[in-house]
Amino acid sequence: MKVSVEYQALAPIIILLASGVLSVLVEAFIPRTLRRPIQLMLVLASIVLAFAYVVINATAELAGDPLVNGGQVKGLRELAASGSIAIDGPGMVIQGIILLISFVAALLLAERQIDPQGDAFASRSSTLPGSEDERQFTAQGWLQTEIWPLYLFCVGGLLLFPVSNDFLTMFVALEVFSLPLYLIASMARRRRLLSQEAALKYFILGAFSSAFFLFGAALIYAATSSVNFSTVAVAMENSSQDGLIIPGIGMIAVGLLFKVGAVPFHQWVPDVYQGSPTPLTAFMSAATKVAAFGALLRVFYVAFGGMRWDWRPMMWVVAVLSMVIGSLLAVTQTDMKRMLAFSSVAHTGFILLGVISTSAAGLSSTLFYLLAYGFTSVGVFAIVGLVRDASGEATHLSQWAGLGKKSPWIATIFALFLLALAGIPLTSGFTGKFAVFTAAIDGGATPLVIVAVVASAVAAFFYARVIVLMFFTEPPVDGPSVVVPSALTTVAIGTSAAFTVLLGIAPQPVLDLVINAGLFIR
Amino acid sequence: MIAALIGLPLLGATVLLLGGRRTNAWGHFLAVAMSAASFLLGAFLFLQMAGKSEEEREVGQHLFDWISVGAFQVPFGLHLDQLSIVFVLLITGVGTLIHIYSIGYMEHDPNRRRFFAYLNLFVAAMLLLVLADNYFLLYVGWEGVGLASYLLISFYQQKPTAAAAGKKAFIVNRVGDVGLSLAIMLMFVTFGTVTFEGVNAAAESGSSSAITWIGLALLLAACGKSAQFPLQSWLLDAMEGPTPVSALIHAATMVTAGVYLIVRAHAIFDLSETARTAVVIVGAITLLLGAFIGTAKDDIKKGLAGSTMSQIGYMILAAGLGPVGYVFAIFHLLTHGMFKAGLFLGAGSVMHGMHDDVNMRHYGALRTMMKITYATFGLGFLAIIGVPPFAGFWSKDEIIYVAFSQSMVIGLATLIGAGVTAFYMTRMMAMTFFGEARWEDDVHPHESPAIMTIPMIVLAFGSVFGGMAMLFVGDIEHWLEPVTGFAKPEHSVSHSVLIPITLAVVVGGALFAWLRYGRRPVPVTAPTDVRFLTRAARADAYGDALNEAVFMRPGQYLTRSLIWFDSKAVDGLVSGLAAATGGLSARARRLQNGYVRSYALTMLGGAVLIALVLLLVRL
Amino acid sequence: MNPNNYLILAAILFTIGVYGVLVRRNAIIVFMSVELMLNAANLAFVAAARNTGTLDGLVIAFFVMVVAAAEVVVGLAIIVTIFRTRRSASIDEASLMKY
Repeated sequence: MKVSVEYQALAPIIILLASGVLSVLVEAFIPRTLRRPIQLMLVLASIVLAFAYVVINATAELAGDPLVNGGQVKGLRELAASGSIAIDGPGMVIQGIILLISFVAALLLAERQIDPQGDAFASRSSTLPGSEDERQFTAQGWLQTEIWPLYLFCVGGLLLFPVSNDFLTMFVALEVFSLPLYLIASMARRRRLLSQEAALKYFILGAFSSAFFLFGAALIYAATSSVNFSTVAVAMENSSQDGLIIPGIGMIAVGLLFKVGAVPFHQWVPDVYQGSPTPLTAFMSAATKVAAFGALLRVFYVAFGGMRWDWRPMMWVVAVLSMVIGSLLAVTQTDMKRMLAFSSVAHTGFILLGVISTSAAGLSSTLFYLLAYGFTSVGVFAIVGLVRDASGEATHLSQWAGLGKKSPWIATIFALFLLALAGIPLTSGFTGKFAVFTAAIDGGATPLVIVAVVASAVAAFFYARVIVLMFFTEPPVDGPSVVVPSALTTVAIGTSAAFTVLLGIAPQPVLDLVINAGLFIR
Repeated sequence: MIAALIGLPLLGATVLLLGGRRTNAWGHFLAVAMSAASFLLGAFLFLQMAGKSEEEREVGQHLFDWISVGAFQVPFGLHLDQLSIVFVLLITGVGTLIHIYSIGYMEHDPNRRRFFAYLNLFVAAMLLLVLADNYFLLYVGWEGVGLASYLLISFYQQKPTAAAAGKKAFIVNRVGDVGLSLAIMLMFVTFGTVTFEGVNAAAESGSSSAITWIGLALLLAACGKSAQFPLQSWLLDAMEGPTPVSALIHAATMVTAGVYLIVRAHAIFDLSETARTAVVIVGAITLLLGAFIGTAKDDIKKGLAGSTMSQIGYMILAAGLGPVGYVFAIFHLLTHGMFKAGLFLGAGSVMHGMHDDVNMRHYGALRTMMKITYATFGLGFLAIIGVPPFAGFWSKDEIIYVAFSQSMVIGLATLIGAGVTAFYMTRMMAMTFFGEARWEDDVHPHESPAIMTIPMIVLAFGSVFGGMAMLFVGDIEHWLEPVTGFAKPEHSVSHSVLIPITLAVVVGGALFAWLRYGRRPVPVTAPTDVRFLTRAARADAYGDALNEAVFMRPGQYLTRSLIWFDSKAVDGLVSGLAAATGGLSARARRLQNGYVRSYALTMLGGAVLIALVLLLVRL
Repeated sequence: MNPNNYLILAAILFTIGVYGVLVRRNAIIVFMSVELMLNAANLAFVAAARNTGTLDGLVIAFFVMVVAAAEVVVGLAIIVTIFRTRRSASIDEASLMKY
């Protein structure tokens, strides 16, 4: 059998992973003082280049010029790497979203003006928290650059995850992006104890869930003698081995629902979001969720598409639980990051509505929601990272009182993001929610939409609470202040805010894009 | 063209907010100019519309497709018809006068630019509300006016009471907003569209229970925005804002948005007897409650606020009567907009001369010191109590007439309301302008500058001639008929019997008040040994207490969360409706116990749950 | 012997792994239990490959081993850092963040 590799179609993934390898070499051979600028340029350049390739591929695709198996019919999507990877319309849209978010998040990770001691990461992750070593390294102004190779591998894995077309590739991609995340999560400069705890919890539960995923894949393989999604889909139609297939679907669902943070697989979300360095939280809450939903959509639309009458009720249960429990628990949170984490769980439930509708509208509305939510989420955590007092970030809700009087601009933009999360009209969140709800109603999930509306109403209260707190309360005497960040964070917040507003006021171009992206290749 | 109506004030607000201090010197003139330009444009459009034949009057402007997903379309479209144009004229006309008045009133305020920016923002949002051609865009405007209203209520941020009032308005309005969003959702589910045109066309096809629920949700929305029972409590506190704001937002325009909403959604209410009855009951309760509160307030603005509640109660009641009432609800809304704005501006002028004292017990005998204010306030007074031929007479009389045609009880409620109105307004007149002077020592009352009195004079003209002009020249019944429908009430007490009765009740109320407050000296401090009813009225008829006890549990939590907002401790407590779920949430979060093994157990439980559901489906 | 028995054995091993994660406190042992779950999956893949007569399962088993090795590296790194900070490998002690 002739093995061919479709380099152009795979270019975004290859660029990121190759840059990751290059980045390791930089870490090994370049003097310490030069590492940071070189690493940063490498990261940003590779993301931009990869994005350029995604755009080129997408344009070629739209023009009906198949990238790989030359001369195919117009509109037929592309399979690469002997059918293991599917670079199709929705896949490319998700890759594009991941790259946009990664670029913005990289700016946040690189920020070093917020903390007087340096950036958001421990000067050396090997030193003990509170030890003499750590003090010395901090005093000398050491900045670690090991996060960059990890970051590049992580983004590479994220790009591969939603376009994987068989369970093996998907499992490998899952681990490729998860392992770096576990490590970066443990590296916060402040509150290392929480940071390490977050990493431990994330790691153990992540490994636990991926074992479920793998075992599920093994069962599917045993039943259909293939792990390729299209083959699995065909084989399932005629298979009588329900005893393997049903548990297989369930276990794969466990693995993927864990990554998107759906109830009852959500308990890592608040702890990990709270403990991780805030720029990483911004990245995780957006990019990981986008990629995981991409993979979830592909698995359940392509591989299990024929079984949707079987798995839909299960997704109903999960979606309802996510919306209700996420909104409910956010109400009593007193820590800003935890509150946003529970809100992220609730949003997972809303996005699942789009998955459940299993239609073209469901797919395109989910893609739109992911883009809208991703940017809002990055922006919201970016601002959380700016509000600080002497001991680091001030994340307790009471510390945010009266922020609107001290820093009206930041408070206003934060309020904008919160309104978008709450789904108030003229923000991206509204358009996204609206599209998803519409698709769900068309798909016959009206009761779910009613639950979603009630959950949104509950959620609106805790977002409004923060806004009231910021604008209508007197600031505490020794309260925290908003640090003036460098251009990096400013650009990141500005971009997120711009997307949040633009997708609310004039969403049509993006809606057209996601609708034109078409369906997953089968 | 229509978009420019909204665009002009929005541009003004943007320039003022982004321009910062640089615009301090000329910002207020820009704001006035933008508002006035919008008014002139509105007047032009009105004349153009009046020149057309009846069928061609309705015009739309499609700006762009806001959302278009699959079968679902939300156009960003505006729509100008006979109903919107009268609102445009009211909003921009009264708005411009109040802008001008504010130049004088806010002259010494360091934040004057910000004030004008918010005022322009309000005008833009309110215009969007009345010009939208679908419920979504209306919702945007609805939220926009709400935002402007909170910003302006808490404009004097240094005053804790003002900040608290802003919060209260914010929270109470959220309850109403839930109603509006529910209504929109229900409309979409039932009709598959949310444009006015689409809903009106499809209304017949909806199931009667869906129609009723939509109607009730709309009523909840209207209650929040228009301060109707049981969501009335915020309006009295909202008087903490600057007086021009009270005149424009909390008397003439924003609070009447609920009436607009109900009239706009008439296709829904036409079909549901239950929803209409609920509307009438809410209107009747509020009109009596507001008037009752007005009788005991010593604060001149709060007295007027109670009166606003009561008058809006009349409009809501009229709107709830169906096709026989819609036209008169709007008619009363328009006349009320003019005379109530005039009264508020008068109150502001009095405060201006009295060192911002709002306590009427410190006034007295001001008629000689403030001749113009006295005259304009007096004309407004005659209009609101309904003395012919002043504006309020025509509109209120029609409502009472229509109310009697529907039910004797409702008719009596409106009649009693008219009497109480005469009582509290006469009391206000007497305590402010008559009797002997009870001023504090260092107060030297003086007439306000011309820039403030001219708008008052213009509005006084409106109070005198507005009703006649609209009824006889403008023929408002037939002007609005194509939009709202109109029917003559079938059998009622005849006008020739009703008018003398009404006038007798009004004169009786006024005389009674005159005997108590005009003839006898008014004590400077409020007497404490008063009867229960007076105490109740002073405490806003125990509106807050009532909310707590009666308005279900959410109301109770709401009040508690207000206290919480004021305290510094943010821990543990919860807000608003979400608070109803607070206890549940506090218990549920115990599951998040921090132990990674227990999280793994939850996941295993989830896996079992998923397997169970998958297997159940198979069975 | 019926090849399906291997699948059953794999399921039993997987269950033992889950049980270990749930009841053991020592982070290393929890971690080993996770590895046991992965290897149970591997056994299932190999058995299924034999059953179905395809090669995919065997290839996958190799991939999984590599991935598991990488996971060991990362996992041990995290556990060791925590051990150095807290002087304890109990995963129940790492429970500062809750509710």
